[in-house]
Amino acid sequence: MAESNNQDLVTLTVDGMTTSVPQGTLVIEAARQVGVMIPHFCYHPKLTPDANCRMCLVEIEKLPRLQTSCSTKVAEGMVVKSNVPHVDEARKSVLEFILANHPLDCPVCDQGGRCDLQDFSHQYTPTTSRFTELKRVFPKEYFSPLIETQMNRCVQCMRCVRYCDQVMDVKALAPSGRGTLTEIKHFSAHELDCEFCGGCVQICPVGAITSRLSMYDFRPWMLKRTDTICTYCGDGCHITIQKKQDELIEVNSTQGVGRNNGDLCARGFFGYHASVHPDRIMHPLIKQQDGRFAQATWEEALELVAEKFQGIKTAFGGNAFGGLVTSRCTNEELYLFQKFMRGVLGSNRVDSSARFGHVNGTLPLLSVQGTHRWTATFEDIVDADALLLIGTNITETNPITGLKVKQAVKQGHAILVTMESLLPARGTISNITLLATHHLPVRPDHYHIAIVGLIKSVLDNGLVDPGLETRAPEFFRAIKAAIDSTSWAHIEEVSGVSREVFSQSAHAFSSSTRGMIIVGQGVLRSPRGAEMVTNLLDFLILTGRHGQPGCGLCPLAEENNDQGAIEMGATAEFLPGPIAIGHHDTRQALSKLWEVDLPQEPASSLMEMFRDAQAGQVKAMYIVGENPVESLPQTGKIKEALESLEFLVCQELFLTETAQLADVVLPACSYVEKDGTFTNTEGMVQPVRQAIDPIGESRPDWEIFSALSVVMDQPMEYGEARDIFKEIRSVIPGYGLVGPVATRPTPKVDVVQQYLQEGFAHGLATRYVCTQDQPASDTPFLLASTQSLFHSGKFSTRSKGLLQIQSSGAIMLNPSDAKKLGIASGDSVCVSNAHGAVTTIARVLNRIPPDVACFPEHFDQDIRCLFELHIDKESHVPYSKLTWVRLERVEKGDV
Amino acid sequence: MPTHEKILLKNMDQPGYTGSLKDYEAVGGYQALRRVMKELAPADLIDIVKQSGLRGRGGAGFPTGVKWSFIPKDYTGPKYLCCNADESEPGTFKDRQLMERDPHQVLEGIAIACQAIGAETAYIYIRGEFRLGAKILEHAIDEARQARYLGENVLSSGVPIQVYVHAGAGAYICGEETALLESLEGKRGMPRVKPPFPATHGLYQKPTVVNNVETLANLPHIVTRGADWFASIGSPPKSTGTRIFCLSGHVKQPGNYEVPMGITFRELIYEHAGGMRGEKPLKAFIPGGASASFLTEAHLDVKLDFESVAQAGSMLGSGGVTVMEEGTSMVWAALRLMEFFYHESCGKCTPCREGSSWLVQVLQRIVDRRGRMEDLQVLADLCQNIVGRTVCAFGDAEIAPIVGTLQYWRNEYEDLIRESTAISTTSKELPVLALNS
Repeated sequence: MAESNNQDLVTLTVDGMTTSVPQGTLVIEAARQVGVMIPHFCYHPKLTPDANCRMCLVEIEKLPRLQTSCSTKVAEGMVVKSNVPHVDEARKSVLEFILANHPLDCPVCDQGGRCDLQDFSHQYTPTTSRFTELKRVFPKEYFSPLIETQMNRCVQCMRCVRYCDQVMDVKALAPSGRGTLTEIKHFSAHELDCEFCGGCVQICPVGAITSRLSMYDFRPWMLKRTDTICTYCGDGCHITIQKKQDELIEVNSTQGVGRNNGDLCARGFFGYHASVHPDRIMHPLIKQQDGRFAQATWEEALELVAEKFQGIKTAFGGNAFGGLVTSRCTNEELYLFQKFMRGVLGSNRVDSSARFGHVNGTLPLLSVQGTHRWTATFEDIVDADALLLIGTNITETNPITGLKVKQAVKQGHAILVTMESLLPARGTISNITLLATHHLPVRPDHYHIAIVGLIKSVLDNGLVDPGLETRAPEFFRAIKAAIDSTSWAHIEEVSGVSREVFSQSAHAFSSSTRGMIIVGQGVLRSPRGAEMVTNLLDFLILTGRHGQPGCGLCPLAEENNDQGAIEMGATAEFLPGPIAIGHHDTRQALSKLWEVDLPQEPASSLMEMFRDAQAGQVKAMYIVGENPVESLPQTGKIKEALESLEFLVCQELFLTETAQLADVVLPACSYVEKDGTFTNTEGMVQPVRQAIDPIGESRPDWEIFSALSVVMDQPMEYGEARDIFKEIRSVIPGYGLVGPVATRPTPKVDVVQQYLQEGFAHGLATRYVCTQDQPASDTPFLLASTQSLFHSGKFSTRSKGLLQIQSSGAIMLNPSDAKKLGIASGDSVCVSNAHGAVTTIARVLNRIPPDVACFPEHFDQDIRCLFELHIDKESHVPYSKLTWVRLERVEKGDV
Repeated sequence: MPTHEKILLKNMDQPGYTGSLKDYEAVGGYQALRRVMKELAPADLIDIVKQSGLRGRGGAGFPTGVKWSFIPKDYTGPKYLCCNADESEPGTFKDRQLMERDPHQVLEGIAIACQAIGAETAYIYIRGEFRLGAKILEHAIDEARQARYLGENVLSSGVPIQVYVHAGAGAYICGEETALLESLEGKRGMPRVKPPFPATHGLYQKPTVVNNVETLANLPHIVTRGADWFASIGSPPKSTGTRIFCLSGHVKQPGNYEVPMGITFRELIYEHAGGMRGEKPLKAFIPGGASASFLTEAHLDVKLDFESVAQAGSMLGSGGVTVMEEGTSMVWAALRLMEFFYHESCGKCTPCREGSSWLVQVLQRIVDRRGRMEDLQVLADLCQNIVGRTVCAFGDAEIAPIVGTLQYWRNEYEDLIRESTAISTTSKELPVLALNS
């Protein structure tokens, strides 16, 4: 046989069945492969074996005593027996021991019905016990409002403790006490303070740690499961929604399944109630003369919209329409929206929330290497030997991608270079800079100059790819000249990072063979985002990592379908593909397929639409799931622009500030009520499935677009979301051929060649120029609007579970600044600048750098007014995440 | 009384010997280390120790030289020596005396062992209660460092040997070598799954040797006087050298006695420890710490070496010999020992964790005259279900008192159970009735 010649395979016999498995496989896994399920509690494939429960004992020939199959590795010729009487006896005895102190409360235990201990007990033990002593009793405890512990049920397998440490790197849990009095505790004296990933709840083999969100509401056999994709960030985690009748009960994940491989974050595990919040719009609403909304039927609402749209189109032409869609929609909906805007209304004014930052990643990738996706996957992150993280505390923004980074560093010993404003200080949420081998502490407005510093180190230390200068002399000289114009003295002074540290980081990254750059919202959503990404691609080219296997630049998507929005053509500059809007052949093909003439007018993006609305050129807007009035600062005058429209249609889950301005509000479904696909940050197209019936009269967005097109007599009819996906496939051949691993494009050689010859020159005059924004003396603090691990946009603030973890925002500042200002955690603080003054609560945190204050964007309703709007000239991205403010303590009497 | 030459306790028995560096040097201290640093290659040193037949004095009796030779030869990174001074075995108090009375003898042994395995750092993991010992050792380390027996450049050889004292926090299990390593790393003291063994993945996952205090204290003498000399003492070929036996219980003169291995228990108890303290005859004795099973009066002529005691159904263990006179309730004795094991079970493995609490409750009930005849079968079964099914040897140890007493004094259990007519009125426990009633 071929296998026997292969040195990496080991042949063994399990219960008489012979199998060959890779060297290093554990006996328990080898047995599983031949269908022998060895009972266990403490073993978990993700964790290092602890062999503490002793349930998985097997006989191995030639070894004196029974061995734990979870910790024993296979050996050539090994003979394993699990079905012999004394192994059976051993398991019975272990169960007898566990059950001695285990309470008989299965009828009131939420784990009852899916409990390993219950199952094994049925299989192995008699119904009576020889244990006639007193059971040891622990009082019930709560780890937090969300997690209950019943340590009487605990089997001390330590899976929760090990998961919290080894996978999450949080170390919130620990065993306390000895022997049979061992219980799992959290370290702090107060409530559990951790990432709330729910991992301990999920990994507990019994009912010792359970979620309080649905406590006593169900029995496992009442639940119906739906496998779908989470909507709270771009990671695209596979989740299983469990419902009882039409009531959402819980979300869980499956070990080994999905891009998340069974791991979740707080948002995914505890955030599922947002969709069923009582504020959901239940019926279509039409605004009356008096400005109030009246409930309407779908027919009335759709006919009104169709009539108004037709009227405006006849009077002013297609270019009088503007359309904005949220990237939380499915690919099918994004595709259909742009088809509706371009094909039915005849407008090129189409944009989505990918405009808020994701295009800053995609546009440079397209112009430098001809791909719109990552050239790497999550697996490549895990396998990387060097990772450069810029502008992201990845755990908070993209927690599961963050786990891959943790895995690479903790298990693969990868070099981790972080360029982040957060300081490496222990906190309750894992701070990725703590794992960094090299940390560049950079203020949120200094990423640009820090990137220049990194490239300068590459050039100055002779770390440039040896062949590059001969291969692309113009590129090399031009970049070098551009970099040389900034002196080290200037870089060190502005960035606050020494030349030495830059040089060490550059050396560390250059010494790798699989080096990846992960770019976060700190770069993508701040001024010059696209320039910084282009500069980072130059860095990859200079270090010779560009285009190498396992290397690449990866912009993180904030919303679940930012990537899909761009690929579906739901942004101003792209048709589906994404293909440039002016591409002749694609336009012809689409015209033919859609049976319409595509509009000829130049495309206009989000901010241009609002500008033109105010100028009276845009007469009507169709806003789907977006709330620009709230999400963009007042200086953008979005409200004024929308008020000047003749007609505004909003399609929403909730009556947001923007929806309140609408003439017609159409109730849409959330992700749990519809089918479709999401494309995650790494370009994996994954199926979204309907778990519960639509709330009220709400309908999936695609159905509404389709219905509207029918009423407008230009029907785009589809029976189900899948039919739209088929059409997407005909436009983008092979789109979303779903496999176990994301499709990994490689940089296009001709595009890279073109870039190295002349493309690099585009914008070179400005993109390396370092500017410095000096604070005014009366507003010395840089206020950054940041993301929290426990929320995603504003949607999650409707989730009762997440609100129990974090229900409000606080201004976070460094202890030294707080001391200077006489501020302590919990004090009232007045945050002010020329735009206004807001009073909020202070939170003092070690990880906030000096002269910086942070506020979570999810609760920024009041503080929003302090921010200014800047629009990128090239990528038209609106920036409003940073501003300068003054902080003052407010005395109690003044409030 | 037969007299035997002492090795380890010899210095401290001299009048006026304080254990200071000066005193130790005066009796030839650190000459062995000089020889090791100047003349002996590590491989030769390991050979000498192998030839001496020295076996671990902590309890398991593993040949020391062989243990050292498991350290990977070509490993270039840091290696560690850990001196196991967590002496916690009930009835054992020899290491304490060695550390408190003659600390330099231990330190010299540590330095020699470091040189043998190529370790530049040694940790003395000392039982938390040994405050005095820790203080004395730290003072001795300072002295030795100043005299350059330890430190950056030991005896101008260019070799650094740093020794640190680390106090435990009161867990018996930390005397188990892998739990010791976990504790030393700052983690909860729980045994590790083996393999991998400490020789390849020890402290901080680096090659590590863990040796007992008494084992290490023997090294200077072996180096100075030769392997053949050492191998001629005791009960060659398998049990060479002397052992310090810790006598406790109902003997006239409890204390530490250093004798060559191979003398009989009768000589140890009746000649050296002065015999039984009262007029009552000997009923039982524990030959090697609480983990060793009871032996009876019939075993008095068993030789004090590893093989003979094992053959008698117990083990030589840590050398703690606890003697009990006629009239001692053996069920009570078993309960007392079981209470210790219940308190000290770390809780890692199910059988040991749950079994120890179950066993102690059954024993308590029997002692409280609330036992049932079925309990004896339960006791025997539980012991059977614990032994060999745990990560470390604790599980095997904790059942020893019950297995031994059930074997020799089953009638005492039965007598107590026959007295169990009423439910104890003083017990705060819930009444437990016989299953058949």
